[in-house]
Parts: sequence; C-alpha cells; structure tokens
Amino acid sequence: MSTGQTEPRTRRTREKPRGTLAALTLHTLRLQRRSVLIWGSVLGAFSLLALVAFPAFQDQPQINELVESYPPELRELFGIGSGTDLTTIEGFLQSQVFAFIAPLALSFFPILAAAGAIAGAEERGTLDVLLGNPVPRWQLVAASSAATAVSLLGILAVLWLLTWVPAVLLDIDLAPGTAAGAVLNLWPLCLFFGGLAMLCSAVFHRRVLAVAIPGAVLVAMYFVDSLGSLVEAFESVQPLSVFYHYGSAIEDGIDPASFAGVSGAAVVLVALAALVFSRRDIYT
Amino acid sequence: MGAVVRTEGLTKTYGKARGIEDVDLGVEEGEVFGFLGPNGAGKTTAIRTLLGFMRPTAGRAEVLGWDVWRQSVEVRASVGNLPTEFTLEDRMTGEQLIRFFARLRGVESLDHAYELAGRLGADLERPMRRLSRGNKQKIGLIQAMFHRPPLLVLDEPTGGLDPLVQEEFLGIIREVREEGRTVFFSSHNLPEVERICDRVGIIREGKLVAVETTDALVNKSFRHMSLIFARPVDPEPFECLGGVEGLRRDGQELSFRLHGDLDEVVKLAAGHRVVDLRYERPSLEEIFLAYYGGEERGEAS
Repeated sequence: MSTGQTEPRTRRTREKPRGTLAALTLHTLRLQRRSVLIWGSVLGAFSLLALVAFPAFQDQPQINELVESYPPELRELFGIGSGTDLTTIEGFLQSQVFAFIAPLALSFFPILAAAGAIAGAEERGTLDVLLGNPVPRWQLVAASSAATAVSLLGILAVLWLLTWVPAVLLDIDLAPGTAAGAVLNLWPLCLFFGGLAMLCSAVFHRRVLAVAIPGAVLVAMYFVDSLGSLVEAFESVQPLSVFYHYGSAIEDGIDPASFAGVSGAAVVLVALAALVFSRRDIYT
Repeated sequence: MGAVVRTEGLTKTYGKARGIEDVDLGVEEGEVFGFLGPNGAGKTTAIRTLLGFMRPTAGRAEVLGWDVWRQSVEVRASVGNLPTEFTLEDRMTGEQLIRFFARLRGVESLDHAYELAGRLGADLERPMRRLSRGNKQKIGLIQAMFHRPPLLVLDEPTGGLDPLVQEEFLGIIREVREEGRTVFFSSHNLPEVERICDRVGIIREGKLVAVETTDALVNKSFRHMSLIFARPVDPEPFECLGGVEGLRRDGQELSFRLHGDLDEVVKLAAGHRVVDLRYERPSLEEIFLAYYGGEERGEAS
C-alpha cells in the first residue's frame, strides 16, 4: 500500500502515552478492593473458628491416635498427613485451614479475577471500550495479573491478622512469623492457578471455560498429591502437582525452592497468556 | 488533504463464515463518512478490524498511516471509538471512568469532557449501574470524544438518545468536521446520515457496493414523480418511456419512479393540460433499500 497518499504522521497522530501499565494496575486494584476484604474476612473467620476450637483438642493426645486409626486415604484427602500433631496449634491449623480449605478456596480468587479480565470482559462488553484506548494487550494481562497478585497479598494479610491476633487474645502460642509463613505459602500456589486461568481466558472467549478448566485442574492436582503416596498409579505424576511443592509451611517453614519454582511457573503461564491474547481476535 | 483511513482488498473471515470481503476504502481527512448496511452486513467487522481488534485475513488497512494490526496501539492513540454494544464498569461513575481513560491517554485536562457532558446532559456523578441506556450512551460518546482525536469512529452513536440530544450530538459532529478532524460514522438512522455525512459507503454481504458523496448518491438515483392532469390520460405512453417504473394512475394523477431522463417525460406530458407536477428526490433510506432490493445492482457493481 502506498503511504505517499497520506500526510506525515507527526502532523496529526498522537504519541503512544506512557504510564498505561501503572494506570491499568491501579484501576484493577481499585476494582478488587472490596473483594480483598470479603475474601480475607471469610477465610479469616474460618481460621478464627479453628483457633476457638483448638483448646478443646490441645490437651487430648488421644485425638492423634483416633485420627491415626482412620484410613490413610481419608486422612490425606483432608490434609492430615502422617505425623501431623493435632495437639499443637501448628498441626491443628495446618489440618483445619492451610492444608485443605484455604488453598482450594483461595485459589478461586485469582481464577475468577483472571477469567473476568479477558474472557469475562469480552462477554460483558467492557473490553471494547477499555482496548479502544492505546493500551497494548500484553499490558492488560500483566496489569491484571500484577493487581491480582497484590490483592492476594492483601487477602493473606487479612487472613494473617485474623489468625495471629485471635491466637494472642486466646493465649495460644502461635509465633507471628509462623503464621505469616503459613499464609504467605498460599501465594504462589494461588497465583499458579490464576496464571492458568489467565491462559484459558486468553485462549477461549468464554469465561465459564476460564473458570472450569483451572478449577478442574486444581481439584485433580489436589487428589493426585493427596493420594500420590498411597496409590501407585499417582506416584510418578505426583511431582507435577503444585500441591506436592506446597508442603506445610506452618510446621516446616517455607521451602524457598518450591516457593520460587511455583511462582516462576505462574509467571510463565501469564507470559503465555499475554502472547496468546496479543495474537487472537477479540469478539463482541 | 490526505487519507485517514485506507484499505486495500481488506478481508476478514471467521472460519467459513463471511465477515468482509475485498474492501477497498478511502476516507479523507476532514470528512464525515457514513458507513451503511443492515445488521450482519459487515459494518462492525470492518470497524473492529480497523481498530486492531481483529486480524485481517487478507489485504491491508491503514489508519493515519499506521498498519491497523501491527501498529494498533498507535492507531488507538489517535482514534476515539464508540462501539455499537458496550458496557462500562458498573460501580464506577462517569467521572471516574473518564479520569481513568484520561490517564490511559495521557490527557491532563478534563475541560472538554465537562463541556461535552454539559452539552449532552450527561450525569457524571452516578455509577453506571444507575444510569439508563441513553445516559450510558452519553458517557460512551464523551469517552470517545473528550481527547479531541484526529479520527472518531462511531458505531450507532445516537442509539438510545432522545431527539434533542441527537440534535446536539449532530451539532458537535459538525464542529469536529469544522476543526478538520475526521468522523467514520456507522448508523441505521439514514435521515441522520443524510444530514451529517459528506460521503457514504454502502456495505452489502461483506462487500462495499457503493461509495459516493451523499448528494451524488441521492442525485444520481431515481426520483418520485407525480403528474396531475386536467382530465384522465392514457398511462401507456408514459409506461413505455425508458426509466419509468411502478406507474400508478389515480384519477387524473399519474405517479411513478423515474430512473431516466426527465426531458422525455416533460415533453410527453406537455401534450396534455398539466395542473400540477411533483418531482422529489428519494430519501437516503429509499436509496439504501433499493441497493438491498437489487434495483440498482447495475450502478452498484
């Protein structure tokens, strides 16, 4: 095509504006503010209930014997691995909050956020107006992912507050650093599923698929890890589950290699999502 | 004056489905260009391709000299866009949204946004979920126009607006043209297009079938003609004239559509005593329907 028929661009076109990534990130954070409080409070309330119930368990060592008598498959499915001591606050919170409920539930925060960022916005019709502005598509993916990661930290901060402060008030011996390690260990795991949802949101045009696929993978990975040490068929694939690398930070501390590895996998998924989204059509 | 929008053989298909096919189009700087076609004809596909939302299957398109796919960010920096169907964040007010879009565009002053809101009667204080369709449309128009873009792409911009606001909006579009800026205007409201557009493109089944100045399109088309005589006349000689279509006789009146030369009709009528004569150009709507009815297929191709 000849461009000789057009006037020099500089006379009538606009420069690409700067600061769009920061503006998009702040915008997404603003939209997620209320969700941070709701998710943090609900999970925190669950943790609070566990703390209130703990004094009834801590002086009964026979509770461990009772749990040991359960089928190992059942114990593993509910996050009570062999060696977990339910008479300690660390073991009790791990079994009641951090092994099962918190990772499975909280992973849906980034899943829902990522599914809404592209496919959901496409379905709602908000994407057309947003991308009518001079925003590179990769920035939408990056800003949404960064904002969700920060919001997730906000939820974890609320969860930490509602875990540690009641422990102090109930005179339960829970170190603040131990509680912080437990909640922070949720971060890469949840981000991994958020990254997977972002990739599905970029590939598919339907929000339901961007929620359902990572949701199904989440449940499948949980089963594979829970039963991996008991069912021979799952043993070889167990390391492929992010739950295998999750461990029990409240009892053993955060494993830096696992933390970095799962976080890195989440970043790779987001980068793939940005690549895919930059190359595909946007529908109404 | 140079081309603001230029496409060559622009084609977009979805699998086996038709989108647009082999569209060659040029929109000049400073004009209001009307883009007409019924639902499914390819208007929105063409617009979405120009804005880089969809990758062309074949052909090329440039907006302000930028390639619409490879340089779509540069394109969107210079274009104000109102999509045909859009949703704005429910919880945000109009002012919050405009401030956000201003940050994305590096625009510091919102003076023009406030001026447009005043003229259109837009409520910038209430969240989107509490606004009617018409009021949301006003916010959509403001976000498209507040940064004074060199090119405005408006897909059905007056949907949901009451007649007074429509008038005000058309006044704003005239001002945009007077400033030398360009408007690409897609609408179903043909009288409105006829009033505001300098040129019109008609798209049918994905193909651009006509691009004319609005006046030329109307002038070269047929005319409605009525002849009222002092006494009833035999219609057959009129029917035999070239270009006469749809002749009806009602007492002393003959009415028909005239596609050809007026001279022969006048000469034939002069053999009788003519009491009254009406010679009217059709509305753009009738011309549009004629294109779609295949009546002007010869001219269109």
